[in-house]
Amino acid sequence: MFAHQRPTALAVLLLISGGLSSLPAESTYDGSPEAVAQRIDAELAREMQVKTGGPVAADATLLRRVSLDLVGRIPTPESLARFALNTDPAKRGKLVDRLLDDPAYGENWARYWRDAILYRRTDEKALISNQSLTNYLQEAFNENFAWNDIASAFITADGDVRENGATGLIMAQMGQPEETVGEVSRLFMGIQIQCAQCHDHPTDQWTREQFHELAAFFPRVAVRPNRNMTDKQNRSFIVFANDWRQPRRRKPNNNRRFPDLEHSMPDLEDPLAAGTRMRPVFFLNAASLDYGTPDAERRETLAQWITDETNPWFSTAIVNRIWSELVGRGFYEPVDDLGPDRDAVAPQTLEILRSAFVSSGHDLKWLLRTIMATQIYQRDSQTRAPTGKPTFAHFTPQRLRADQLFDALSVALNVDPSSQQKFSGRATGKGGTGKRGNGKGGNGRGMRGPRAAFNKNFGYDPSDPRGEITDSIPQALSLMNSPIINNLISVRRRPELRELLFQHPQNGDLVYELYLRFLSREPTTAEENQAVRYIQKVGNRAEACEDLIWVLISSTEFRHKS
Amino acid sequence: MFTSLYRQTDIQLRRGHVSDRREFLRTISAASLAAGTLSWTDLMAAQQTSLRRRGKSCILLWMNGGPSQFETFSPKPGHANGGETKAIPTAVSGIEISEYLPETAKMANEMCILRSMTSKEGSHPRATFLLHTGYLPTASVRHPSLGSVASQQLGDTAADLPSYVRIGGNNRNAGGGGGLLGVQHDPLNIRNPHRAPDNSSLTVAKSRFQRRLGLLGKVDRHYAAAVGKNEVTNHEKIYEQASRMVLSPRMSVFDIDEEPVKIREAYGEGDFAAGCLMARRLVEAGVTFVEVSMNGWDTHQDNTGLSQELCGQMDRPYAQLLTDLRQRGRLDDTLVIWMGEFGRTPRINGRGGRDHYPRAFNAVVAGCGVQSGQTVGATDPGGVEVTERPVTVQDLFQTICYLLEIDSDKENLSSIGRPIRVVDGGEVVTEIVG
Repeated sequence: MFAHQRPTALAVLLLISGGLSSLPAESTYDGSPEAVAQRIDAELAREMQVKTGGPVAADATLLRRVSLDLVGRIPTPESLARFALNTDPAKRGKLVDRLLDDPAYGENWARYWRDAILYRRTDEKALISNQSLTNYLQEAFNENFAWNDIASAFITADGDVRENGATGLIMAQMGQPEETVGEVSRLFMGIQIQCAQCHDHPTDQWTREQFHELAAFFPRVAVRPNRNMTDKQNRSFIVFANDWRQPRRRKPNNNRRFPDLEHSMPDLEDPLAAGTRMRPVFFLNAASLDYGTPDAERRETLAQWITDETNPWFSTAIVNRIWSELVGRGFYEPVDDLGPDRDAVAPQTLEILRSAFVSSGHDLKWLLRTIMATQIYQRDSQTRAPTGKPTFAHFTPQRLRADQLFDALSVALNVDPSSQQKFSGRATGKGGTGKRGNGKGGNGRGMRGPRAAFNKNFGYDPSDPRGEITDSIPQALSLMNSPIINNLISVRRRPELRELLFQHPQNGDLVYELYLRFLSREPTTAEENQAVRYIQKVGNRAEACEDLIWVLISSTEFRHKS
Repeated sequence: MFTSLYRQTDIQLRRGHVSDRREFLRTISAASLAAGTLSWTDLMAAQQTSLRRRGKSCILLWMNGGPSQFETFSPKPGHANGGETKAIPTAVSGIEISEYLPETAKMANEMCILRSMTSKEGSHPRATFLLHTGYLPTASVRHPSLGSVASQQLGDTAADLPSYVRIGGNNRNAGGGGGLLGVQHDPLNIRNPHRAPDNSSLTVAKSRFQRRLGLLGKVDRHYAAAVGKNEVTNHEKIYEQASRMVLSPRMSVFDIDEEPVKIREAYGEGDFAAGCLMARRLVEAGVTFVEVSMNGWDTHQDNTGLSQELCGQMDRPYAQLLTDLRQRGRLDDTLVIWMGEFGRTPRINGRGGRDHYPRAFNAVVAGCGVQSGQTVGATDPGGVEVTERPVTVQDLFQTICYLLEIDSDKENLSSIGRPIRVVDGGEVVTEIVG
């Protein structure tokens, strides 16, 4: 049984709400996405004291939203037309099902989690695992591995970091016990216990001892260069267990080839002293392991305790994170800081979703289907409130992640994203010159090419609160003035644009087509008139068409999922 | 009344009590209201130019890879560890530096040479991060670089030029970004000092660009009305700033070809020389923090030969930068820092190289109130241990903040609301600031 050392906010909440026991008897319990979504709608309306408001989002809006959320790109005008003309009343649900089966689904979410893990790397060498990490995650999501299995794989991983992508989280921290457990706790439980590394947590209840007891699950994790590799260009590292060798002496560096067999909490007064030896104890259930326990057993045990169904933090963290990514606001914000001393907006709603997710067997596709079936996801969005009480009961526009924006541009401008064309970043004015990363020491492997250059400019840590992520000037400059973009919107250089102009001799039709292609929707009458007047004023259709494309790419709407 | 306001501005700025203009406005508005008649805007307009001119700036000359102290500012010709490198006298009697830096030697009267820098971090990315942010990298907090802190505390967000510019190197060094301060304090990166910054040149005629911006505003207004009012407001802010920059006639500060041939020749040839010249132009134009990077100092093989060559590229531009800033009256307001992520081993290895050595290395500071013409700290005859006045990275950062009038105790909030000091620990090195 999962015994808390202290009552936590979440545990108290579970008690008040009756927790899992409040579910109806098993025979009547319907855990289907539609049924759970309906219960969420009702509860959210009650908790927020609002009607789940606003008009139902138009087909085009919903198609763009679902496409970005599941496969990470905007729909083509053709798929827009097909979806709009489809009269099947169940077409929205079927769309979700279809896109969940698209291999791009796994790729999209793999990129999300790759960023969540690698943006917090403490060593650039971690980028070596970039590709294998993405591949592992892609497979895990496409095959729909249960979330508890994915989390366990990250906690217990070993082997060559280029071959086993699940080592990515450990590699991102070069196996440092304190940093690694801090990340495990933050990403999988939404608990920022690493703040207690040097002193008791400033706002939460965790103590310094508890943090170092958690770190004591990881002292034997070692990371060393893979010397067996003949290919010097592709150097790699191995994550392995060091259960036998004591370090000769403690070097004042961060070498983790032969780490200590047990973890020590440093003496704050005398950092060079040996410190206090710590036993592995899990702070949430107070269960412990003995000194001398082998690495594999330590990490497997920790993975079991963390992912246990009775640990509400584990399921709350993922449910809150995915909700936030889809709907634009989390029950808790930031998504990786749940407390214990934080309050959720709409806690009962969150609890319905959380417990049903556990009942589904930690099924991520189920979670996505369910959230997408809610009213809040199906209705129009409203602007993000800057301060004060968050307006939670509606969909909030969400800035596209770098990969989504890259793919949105690829679709809209009709370029193959795998080609050597690149949109921004280190544009040289000549375009198409294959960039070679920084080429040194293998740091760049898997981080080369146009997408990587684009991500470097437009990327951000997806755990950050979205309201705080702003555009940067280099980003604006690259969409404004990149010679590559300029070439891609050039009527002279792009036969498909000349074709577009030829096929739509009426300016109104041309504007319609451009809105469809770039903003995935029809223009309103006012928008159409405005653009038509612009074309007339410019006088040159080709020039005006280029201007319109430039403007649509630069628009706030293009940069957001709404 | 006018004078008293001026004096108060001056005092506030000098004491470092006021770190940005908005705060300054708040501090001083009570005084102005008491003072009476002149409108607040009038006063500020009158003060603006002098405020700007008084702003401190900083040029960081970053020696990427970790320069050898034995071949630069701590030669040990009498000891086996010193290798073949000889020492030469400088403009300051009693101070000797490496023979590979003859021009720099002439400027020793402007420099304060720190010979007792010490840290524990011997890996390139981690040490680079440490020497850029004052912190080791950690997963929980993304610490901002010194340049970003300077941009936040000293920079002018209303200016048409960016506050923080990085020139050369691979622009990928760890710890160079705004971190928890946000992307608005990220640097503008310039890979090649011989060219304009990436994407800063218009691809269409100016009138057409402005026409496009006009249409963009109208298109965005529909989205603001239907969905994203606040999203549009934020988006417009950045587009305004970015377009103000590319349309600014002052963008020509990035063009070093505008300099007279005589000046360009004085800086010498090469990317580092061009970077130093651009840095001088940028701080003159009001840019707060410029980093000029020079690669190649990771001399695991043939340390002597490589260091000699690298010093050859570095010597003249560095000396000329100090000369130029002095002659133009900017050196007293501009801190010039020379450093890398660590030093190199006293023992010369089997390939004639030196490896990473954070235990005792060099940094040099000049200008901006530095007590110049001196050395601080010392090592033993073999250069193995610091024997006198150890200076930690935090000490150096405290000192830099003091000189630039940056509030090093200011706490910025991490993404989860944890307060993070600009510099944690360390003390101002009194020998440097006098």
